[in-house]
Amino acid sequence: MVKGTLFIKSLRDIKRSKSQFISIFVMATLAVFIMTALDSIWYTVEKHSHTMYESTNLSDLWITVANPSEQQMWGIGKIEGVELVEKRFIADADTDLPGGPVLQVYALDDRSTLDQPKLEKGAIGKSAGAVLDSKFAEIYNLKIGDYISIKLNGKWLRLQINGLALISEHVFAVKNSSIITPNHSDYGFIIISTNVLESIYGQKIYNQISVKTSPDSDLASVVQKAGDFVGNNLIGITLQKDSSSVSSVNSRIQQFKTLSLVFPVLFLLVTALITQSTMVRMVENQRPQIGILKALGYSKRSILWHYTSYGVIVGVLGSIFGLLTGPNILGRILVYQLKLILASYSLKINYGNFIFVLILILICTGGVSFFACRQLLSDTPSVLLRDKPPKSGQRIILEYIPSFWQKMKFSGKLIARNIGENKGRLVMSTIGVMGCTGLIISALTVRSTLSGIGDYTYGKTFTFDHKIILNTTKTNSKYLKNLELNGIAQQMEESAIQVIFPDGSQKMEPVSITTKESPLIHLQSIDGTPVTLPDKGVLLTRKLCKERDLNIGDTISIKLTGKGYAAVPIREIAYVASGQGIYMTDTYWESLGEKFKPTALLVKWNDQPDRKLLDSDIVSDLATRESMQDSLSSSLGVVNFAVMFLIVVGASLAFVVLYNTGILNFVERIRDLATFRVLGFHHNEIRYLVLIENYISVFLGMLSGIPVGRFMSWIIASTIDERLDLLGNINLRDVVIAVVMTLFFSRIVNNIIAHKMKEIDIFEALKSVE
Amino acid sequence: MGFITFENVEREYKIGCEIIKAVDNISFGLSQGTLNVVLGQSGAGKTTLLNLLGGMDSPTAGKIVVNGKKISGMSEYDLTEYRRTQIGFVFQFYNLVPNLTALENVQLAEEICPEPLGAEEMLKRVGLENRINNFPSQLSGGEQQRVSIARALAKNPQIILCDEPTGALDSETGHKVLRLIRDVSKDLRKTVIIVTHNAPISEMANTVLHMRDGKIDKLQFNERPKDVEEIEW
Repeated sequence: MVKGTLFIKSLRDIKRSKSQFISIFVMATLAVFIMTALDSIWYTVEKHSHTMYESTNLSDLWITVANPSEQQMWGIGKIEGVELVEKRFIADADTDLPGGPVLQVYALDDRSTLDQPKLEKGAIGKSAGAVLDSKFAEIYNLKIGDYISIKLNGKWLRLQINGLALISEHVFAVKNSSIITPNHSDYGFIIISTNVLESIYGQKIYNQISVKTSPDSDLASVVQKAGDFVGNNLIGITLQKDSSSVSSVNSRIQQFKTLSLVFPVLFLLVTALITQSTMVRMVENQRPQIGILKALGYSKRSILWHYTSYGVIVGVLGSIFGLLTGPNILGRILVYQLKLILASYSLKINYGNFIFVLILILICTGGVSFFACRQLLSDTPSVLLRDKPPKSGQRIILEYIPSFWQKMKFSGKLIARNIGENKGRLVMSTIGVMGCTGLIISALTVRSTLSGIGDYTYGKTFTFDHKIILNTTKTNSKYLKNLELNGIAQQMEESAIQVIFPDGSQKMEPVSITTKESPLIHLQSIDGTPVTLPDKGVLLTRKLCKERDLNIGDTISIKLTGKGYAAVPIREIAYVASGQGIYMTDTYWESLGEKFKPTALLVKWNDQPDRKLLDSDIVSDLATRESMQDSLSSSLGVVNFAVMFLIVVGASLAFVVLYNTGILNFVERIRDLATFRVLGFHHNEIRYLVLIENYISVFLGMLSGIPVGRFMSWIIASTIDERLDLLGNINLRDVVIAVVMTLFFSRIVNNIIAHKMKEIDIFEALKSVE
Repeated sequence: MGFITFENVEREYKIGCEIIKAVDNISFGLSQGTLNVVLGQSGAGKTTLLNLLGGMDSPTAGKIVVNGKKISGMSEYDLTEYRRTQIGFVFQFYNLVPNLTALENVQLAEEICPEPLGAEEMLKRVGLENRINNFPSQLSGGEQQRVSIARALAKNPQIILCDEPTGALDSETGHKVLRLIRDVSKDLRKTVIIVTHNAPISEMANTVLHMRDGKIDKLQFNERPKDVEEIEW
């Protein structure tokens, strides 16, 4: 049991060594703050997205088919593991709203149960009317009862809004793969009844089969069997986890899972080292007090607990403070930055992981003092009450190189021996500084690479002025080829295609088909050499190859329209920063028996853009290279925030360790330093003796921080977005900035310590001889 | 005017609301090359006097002149310079730097002085030529005090201040240390001031300052100082 007076003693002791305990507190807080914040983000997203998937009855896979027949539905329903089969219609539709936003139309049967909206307001209102994306409605100020017009199959359809809702497929929705962050004023969804389609198509039409499987079913075999059953009519099969929204959400979850593993490790390491050095010293300084307590008749157990409680109290307080602030401050800010549309954002805390980190921190704090104290307790009170045996000087390796050692000044020798004696402390501050430099480097690198994508993609890869999205019903390749326009043009067909990889897995992948001569798309290999599209085979992007473990010479199977699969060899691999997928030439595509139907025309004008062409009815949408680059880099706002955050975290890390080492170095040697002062050493000479160790660890830390920064950049770059191929290469400029910042932070700390040193009456130390 | 002159020197400390005069209106003069003892009970103000003379503290009133230089009112920086060039200090608890060897502890002083005496030579002088590479923890108390004296000497100071130099030593070792201090004072013409509460030690001094309650009780001149061997305690 903790005795009342003993408890008061621990509080007073903590108060007396407050700067050390504040360091431990800060480190424990930081470790828990970061861990729980990052953890709560993915945990919150995972919980709420899964709740949403379940409550909306999200399908496990979707089979895109030209016109699903009853027989196909029946057949798929019979596949082992399939529980429910429904069909629906999906298409993108223009709207009559200003700015021409696009809505993804989901037409569902009135009796459908899969992929339902999660209503926020109003009713589903079967048969007539529509349920609109509530976020989209908010932006365009649309209310229930208002009308909205959409254009399907060239005909306008006026719909009354019956309800506002969210859907699982639009938690994270982007119009196309070149857009990184969702823009709700540009892209939303609307749900209508298939009955409404009759007025446009003359009948109910469908293009997708939604399938719900039992939880333990083998999805790969379901996909294979369903693909076989649908046969040549198959366009593609998308698994829930591969669908655009779900996979984006999952990659966010994965990203934060990785981050919440990498960062806390660094902090726990430093916390452990700081606590270790502080607690051991603390307990050893309490040697006579332990003797007194023992002599008074306190049991071993209560003395042990007394000293263990120091670490436990501070560790628990720090952890709880971190738990209270982390998720609530950082978690709350970051979770909104993910730009997900969920029914709820109420923060969920992963208490399991918190308890785990708490235990680690308690081992670092309480555990260390427990062992330090237990070691002392084995001595008898009389031994403990006697003076501590004097600290003996130790020889260090350097001394065995006499030629070098003898040339050193006493200050060099003193510093060298002192470091030899306090290796742990040097390691601690070096790791702290290393973390600081590493964090800043990785923050700056991620920023540079992300802003670099825009420059790379729209500066090197694409050199068009306009990307015209074509109205495919109004134009074709031959028409475009004969188009007389004042500039260079390149035709391009972009779509998605069902692919079977060598390992048997299937997935729909984006495919870009363009002409062999490619004046406006300049693909490059990873080392920067230009790559041309192969004549007999396809080109894959580097990241896709890496994910699937593919190499040049491997063969993949691609689904042809209305036919079976064709085996195509991979002839080239190119590095594409944004937009992963398959590239091939129009002639190769046609040699497979397909027809080249360009969906986009890239144009570089010689002079002014041809207004007549841009206003003609073959244009369904238009984008400039600048606007595409802007949209790509619009996500940089989040990044700037993350950069700031990482720099603050890095600075606090450096601050805590350097302050701790500096102060310990001063306090522990105060008698020596006082002697120096008596001998006639000036303030600045003493300051140098104390702070040189900090500068050494700053130097070592910065050096070792560079590879650490490289490693962290690489981890962040590879987890940040699966559609982006980020290399995370550090550049000299960022390294220099990080080094300068680290030096600046350590300069501030050292100034604070120097100021503190001046305040203390150093000669007092000589009087207090125990 | 002596080599060292104190004129109406006062040093006040504020403890809480109370003002304590640790040194209260003291005046005296000491000549160069003499051995002097400041004698008094603990709390008499001996150490404060020593600190004032050693430039580790400044008087609140009065004037201190050493070797023709007024040190009262000097800046922090000048006081450090003064300690560096003029003062050698020997402490009761030696205050050697534990992770420097005997030689290195002496070199420590040597390196910051304009005209040092050789470190090895000084260690030889105090009879430690065989132990120069030992760390303080490997030396006895007497040996450590001798290193401390060597360190004070190596700076080639004008004044050597000793704060209870025998306080932590047994009688025999104490005698050896005192003789060393005596010889040094004589041979190198250093002005030595020993602070102690041990009355018999004062018998070896040229001048004895008896202190009580921050004042000089009595200033005593010994015409014929005793030899160290004659002193018993």
